[in-house]
Amino acid sequence: MGGIRRRLAAALVALVAVTVLGLGVGTYLFVEARLRDSLLADAARQAQFNLSVLVPGVLTPGTDAATFEATGLPAAFRLRGDVEEIVDFGSGRPFYSTGALDGAITALPTSLRSAVAAGQLAFAWQSLGGQAALIVGGRAPVPVAADGSSDAAGPAFYFVFPASSIDEALAQLRLGLFAAAAVALLLALATARLFANGILQPVRSGSQAAARIAAGDLSARVPGGGRDELGAWAAEFNRMADSLAATISRLEASESQNRRFVAEVAHELRTPLTALVAEASLIEAGAAQLPPDARRAAELLVGDVRRLRTLVEELMELSRFDARAQSAELGPVDVFAAVRSIAGARLPAATLDLPADPVVIDADLRRLDRIIGNLLDNARTHAPGAPVEVTVAGTDDGRSVEISVADRGPGVSAEALPHLFDRFYKADPSRRSGSSGLGLAIAAEHAALLGGSIGAADRVGGGLVFTVRLPVTRSLPGGDGSVMAEAEA
Amino acid sequence: MYGRILLVEDDPSIREVTTLGLRGAGFEVVSASDGPAGLERFLTDAPDLVLLDIMLPRLDGLEVARTIRKTSTTPIVMLTARGDTIDVVVGLEAGADDYVRKPFEMPELVARIRAALRRRGAEAGGAPVSRIRLGPLEVDPSGRTVSRGGDEIGLTRTEFDLLVELASRPGQVLTREVLLDRIWGYDYLGDSRLVDVAVGRLRAKVERDPAAPELILTVRGAGYKAARPAAET
Repeated sequence: MGGIRRRLAAALVALVAVTVLGLGVGTYLFVEARLRDSLLADAARQAQFNLSVLVPGVLTPGTDAATFEATGLPAAFRLRGDVEEIVDFGSGRPFYSTGALDGAITALPTSLRSAVAAGQLAFAWQSLGGQAALIVGGRAPVPVAADGSSDAAGPAFYFVFPASSIDEALAQLRLGLFAAAAVALLLALATARLFANGILQPVRSGSQAAARIAAGDLSARVPGGGRDELGAWAAEFNRMADSLAATISRLEASESQNRRFVAEVAHELRTPLTALVAEASLIEAGAAQLPPDARRAAELLVGDVRRLRTLVEELMELSRFDARAQSAELGPVDVFAAVRSIAGARLPAATLDLPADPVVIDADLRRLDRIIGNLLDNARTHAPGAPVEVTVAGTDDGRSVEISVADRGPGVSAEALPHLFDRFYKADPSRRSGSSGLGLAIAAEHAALLGGSIGAADRVGGGLVFTVRLPVTRSLPGGDGSVMAEAEA
Repeated sequence: MYGRILLVEDDPSIREVTTLGLRGAGFEVVSASDGPAGLERFLTDAPDLVLLDIMLPRLDGLEVARTIRKTSTTPIVMLTARGDTIDVVVGLEAGADDYVRKPFEMPELVARIRAALRRRGAEAGGAPVSRIRLGPLEVDPSGRTVSRGGDEIGLTRTEFDLLVELASRPGQVLTREVLLDRIWGYDYLGDSRLVDVAVGRLRAKVERDPAAPELILTVRGAGYKAARPAAET
């Protein structure tokens, strides 16, 4: 996000900077040339006039620096405009119209002086006496002496026109251009920001919506509108979300239909199953009086009815979980005593490794019985005769209790391990075991209802170990067998 | 003849096989297929025990139990759908003494029925026990009455047995398993909710404030006990 905005701003600012620089430099050069041209034209005209109109007739061959002032020419020149002059009489003592120019003759560019010496009208931009100036030089016509004779050459005149006004104007122009450039750059930045936000806002709301969908909120949508590409993108995004939501709700509907169907089937089976179970139990009681063939059939019937009963009851148990009809009745349970009595009832051969002190947690004894009992049944079915160890231990952080049931059976393949808690999953489909394939799934559901979890792992040396982890949700009295008489809600 | 049982069950197959099984076990069985017929037979045949399905046409088993309880202490055993906690609790609260979950095998059902009848027989033939005091309560085991300040309190059979069991051993903790065994005749791991529901109903009748019991106390994680008389503590 920040990256896009920075890149956009940099690009726009660079563009504006190049444009402003080009325009500014061009403007500056153009204005400077025009100002200098105009001053030069003016100055040249004035110098021409001075030399060709004012000087002849006034200048006499005897005039030198000392007497030049008296000719009235400096005053006449000034009347024509703001100008000072240096007059070089060739005597080594030039005339300076103002003290500020004293000695400035040596500062004049030699190109100018030689051009003037050659009788040309020439100019130079030169700073004199600390002031920018335009110097226009020319030779005065040869003064005619009283006796009719004339010098070979007249004195050289250098008119010094102040050019500081040009520099001042240019300085102001520079200032103006800099200010304009700064304003343009700021505007560019602001524009880039607005523009970036215009692009980023939909992108951001899009990623927020995507995050909400990922978190399971299928109603999240991007605000639409706009006919540009972003508008089209938002519309596509929303269409995708709509179709996702529709698919999921269709799947959910079909899944809940499936589950309802299973629940109804199991429920409908219950009445005939009740009759079957009761009937089978009567047949079992009277089996001894049957002829051998019928007796064997009766035994098989009784066993199959029991299997059917287990299957239906487990299906109903699971469908109650699916319908969220199960709730835990939490109360203090001494895991120590509970595991001992469950193991004693379900698999007395199991070895117990219990902590020295009772561990009391908030749990539901009947659910704990379903969990541990199913794990023990599983161990007995899949590892018949193999030793089974049941261990109870608190975790190091004291937040949970772990009950593990470890067998020395054949174990399962690594691919089968994560699926052990799937419904009807049988690690070895060809093996006919007495189990329904639902026992571990049921144990996992009960563990989840108690706020815990259940996992399976390979055991070093062969076999499987199932670990039930249950939370210790509050500290409960235990250990010393303390007896508390208290109100029961 | 061990006793006459009224079976109220709407499914013909279940009704027939149950009747067969109970007769085979030596009981006389009368049956009805819906609630009103069941009540009628209860009045005409005077059974020693009622075996009652919960889901019945026209008048459900809970209503039948409540109606019977208004006039009679005849033991009632409910047949409930397995695992339906609500059924169990509501059934016991409607006045049933015990319940058997469907599906059931006949030996299991017969054992439950015999246990319920044995309790009744034991009362009838039991030696009179001296009166017991528990706080303001005066319990007369032989007359099967409880009174507080001369006012008699009406208790069901199960509630009364429970009170006598606890009150005759003040201060001694009785676990739910022991109570299940002594009151209901369960000799295996039964459903402790039977005990909890019965204790709740008993407290509602004998405690001044059932939410803060003073006579029948809960021992957390263990069971229940009757309060010791003040002088002994």
